[in-house]
Amino acid sequence: MLTPQERKRYERQIAIYGFGESGQEKLKKARVFVAGAGGLGSPVALYLVAAGIGTLRVADRDTVELSNLNRQVLHWQENIGQEKAASAAAKLKKLNPDIEIEATAEPITESNASRLVGDADAIVDAMDNLPTRYILNQTAIAQGIPFFHGAVQGFEGRAMTVLPGRSACLYCLYHGATLPPEKCPVIGVTPAVIGCIQATEVIKYITGLGELLTDRLLVYDALGMKFTELHVKRDPACPRCGNLKSE
Amino acid sequence: MSATIELSPVLASFTDNQLSVPVTGQTIGECLDELVKKLPNLKKLLLDKTGRLMHTYSIYINGESIYPLDMKRPVADGDKINIVFIVTGG
Repeated sequence: MLTPQERKRYERQIAIYGFGESGQEKLKKARVFVAGAGGLGSPVALYLVAAGIGTLRVADRDTVELSNLNRQVLHWQENIGQEKAASAAAKLKKLNPDIEIEATAEPITESNASRLVGDADAIVDAMDNLPTRYILNQTAIAQGIPFFHGAVQGFEGRAMTVLPGRSACLYCLYHGATLPPEKCPVIGVTPAVIGCIQATEVIKYITGLGELLTDRLLVYDALGMKFTELHVKRDPACPRCGNLKSE
Repeated sequence: MSATIELSPVLASFTDNQLSVPVTGQTIGECLDELVKKLPNLKKLLLDKTGRLMHTYSIYINGESIYPLDMKRPVADGDKINIVFIVTGG
């Protein structure tokens, strides 16, 4: 049930055809785990909190550095040296005090990912490295939780939504390929676009609206200002999701 | 057969900003060979010592994944081949 203040706060989205108060109530009940509070995690968290997600759990092990500030808009000059998780939680709480914000600086590992994700309804991949993305993908599959992938480099970005057992997973997409960790060049507007796409997908999934970005890798080329859609097949031999029965 | 190879913009520094390359060939392998002849800087980046595509790339023809990659897969006239590099930043 929405309060009068919530009805007022969200009136412009409640007015969207098909959304309504029932859509807002679904958002209010939802719990979302955002892995990373950096370039992607900032817009994802900001727009989910603005939209009225009930609980947002954010995990980031890093501290804020000056070189983060071109893109990680949750963190400001005054936060340099602070944990990103705490910096993010403080801004998100100010943006929307009604939202339950849970922040942790615990690194995401194979052994704790399941606990950190907990009872989340969605896992958002806002990471900066492939190994942790694979861990999150595996956790999503093991727990049957939708997984919202995003990645960026330079002026280019990617997004794909994974419904375990129903659509291609991250391993189906990259087949376990790995890359050594590196500091990718990036300009802030790229993760802004991709993070907003991820947040949009989460909102669509929770409210049951629209068509999800499943089995499709969306490639964003900001310099050419074009989006390309590449069709990804679920791999029956995938060591991560191949054993799940198609739903 | 004439096809067009579309490259990921993250490769622009190796291709002098050329991201759309017309190639001819009967197979994916022949098209890749012609690509690296036209843009030699890509050879070490894309292909291993045996001439196979590195595992950090995926190929799509007309928007469809062709995994597992067969370098002898035929190419049709007008095909658009996307070579997609893994992007990991966040």
